[in-house]
Amino acid sequence: MKSTGKPEPTVTIDTSGYAVATEEIRSEAKRLLLEKIVDAVVGYQSGRRKGSAVPVIITDPAQAEQLVFSPACVNNLSIYLTKAKKEIRAKGKLAVVAKGCDLRALAGLMGESQFKREEVVIIGVTCAGVHSAGVQPNEPLTSATIAKKCRECSVHIPEGADLIVGKLPLLPDLTPTEKELLEKLDAMTPGERWEYWKEQFTRCIRCLACRQVCPFCYCEQCLCDRGRPQAVDTSPRPSGNMGWHIVRAMHLAGRCSGCAECERVCPMDIPLNLLNRKMAQELKELYQYEAGLTPQEKGPLTSYDEKDDQSFIK
Amino acid sequence: MKHDFEPKIVAFVCTWCTYAGADLAGTSRMLYPSNVRVVKFPCTGRIDPVFILKAFQKGADGILVSGCHPGDCHYMAGNFHARRRFAVFRKLLEFIGVDLNRLEFSWVSAAEGGKWVEIVTELTEKIRSMGPLTQFTDLNDEEQWSGALSNPELKAVYDQV
Repeated sequence: MKSTGKPEPTVTIDTSGYAVATEEIRSEAKRLLLEKIVDAVVGYQSGRRKGSAVPVIITDPAQAEQLVFSPACVNNLSIYLTKAKKEIRAKGKLAVVAKGCDLRALAGLMGESQFKREEVVIIGVTCAGVHSAGVQPNEPLTSATIAKKCRECSVHIPEGADLIVGKLPLLPDLTPTEKELLEKLDAMTPGERWEYWKEQFTRCIRCLACRQVCPFCYCEQCLCDRGRPQAVDTSPRPSGNMGWHIVRAMHLAGRCSGCAECERVCPMDIPLNLLNRKMAQELKELYQYEAGLTPQEKGPLTSYDEKDDQSFIK
Repeated sequence: MKHDFEPKIVAFVCTWCTYAGADLAGTSRMLYPSNVRVVKFPCTGRIDPVFILKAFQKGADGILVSGCHPGDCHYMAGNFHARRRFAVFRKLLEFIGVDLNRLEFSWVSAAEGGKWVEIVTELTEKIRSMGPLTQFTDLNDEEQWSGALSNPELKAVYDQV
């Protein structure tokens, strides 16, 4: 989505800290595995395409040399720690490489009792940003190739991790394109917003990659897959698509940590994170709640206050 | 009196308060519009936002969600949870672009037959003046992007076939 202002000049982002981070991740992973503090490390390794990175789970200290950190490390690895990933949990105690945004997802998952803090070693990486979807993995990180979420990142340093590796370069000021788009949508009339979302959702092919990649979509049986009663039409047609995206946003409200993985994996480029952001913003306004700051047992929609606003109820 | 448009109103109510309230209105021989279709739930806490969505998609013109007053819930806190959930769901629908005038929430106790009549009448008249809701039902008839021949080149190829 284009920014409303004039096009900004392309700025290169200093990623020299990533090589330092790679070295530190390797030595830490090796140490953790050698000393048998953990049984497996969830991290990134180089993919087959030059410069690319894919998630990997290593169990042997010798494999630690495979681990990398680069702007291509886009995945949120916290998804591998949920209870739904039984085969990974069976490996024993885990260590995980986490960027600041991933750490927020980890905090959210802990709050939802997916794992306990003492069961997982978190290797936090200071991150200046990662690539957006569709960027060639060996391209340098610039203001043109950086992910939208990284443009307005507030968690470059993953505070609260067991170990923080890498170092943060001086970061350029980037325009918050997503925030601008959200403001634009908020200023529209309901009819215009409906047209906007209709157009977006009509493209949806219901591949459900957004569900597959979301750390918080760990239900064994999704409501939207059920046939009797069928809550949401399962075929990729406008009506069911609208239903699916509304249900998705509703189920993530107050839980989504804003890693924007849903938007990254969307093959039809639907701005899914906009919905999540909007819900997060509303929950902050209504109940002063922000997801993923600390592990909290009760989310805003699983708790209540007798003095909650009820001005909309007759 | 005959109207051009009879709105379909779906009321999701809790069995302990609003359903009993509606019952009271009935046994007291109070008149209220028959446009309302009452669906009974154990508690407002049982009412999933999906039900509202589904009702809209199936052709409801207006929806009423009603339950016990705060503090009167038969299950202690069901309506408190529902209150938060619907406060958030309203915001989501608003952001998607649904007119919130079509979705109403109320607390009606078992003794408030009059209030039930009032709310249902008011909502029915409001929806009647707004006309039918076609946003969601239109989507049912719409084709997927791949089916629409908006592109002239595609159209040319299609005509050749």
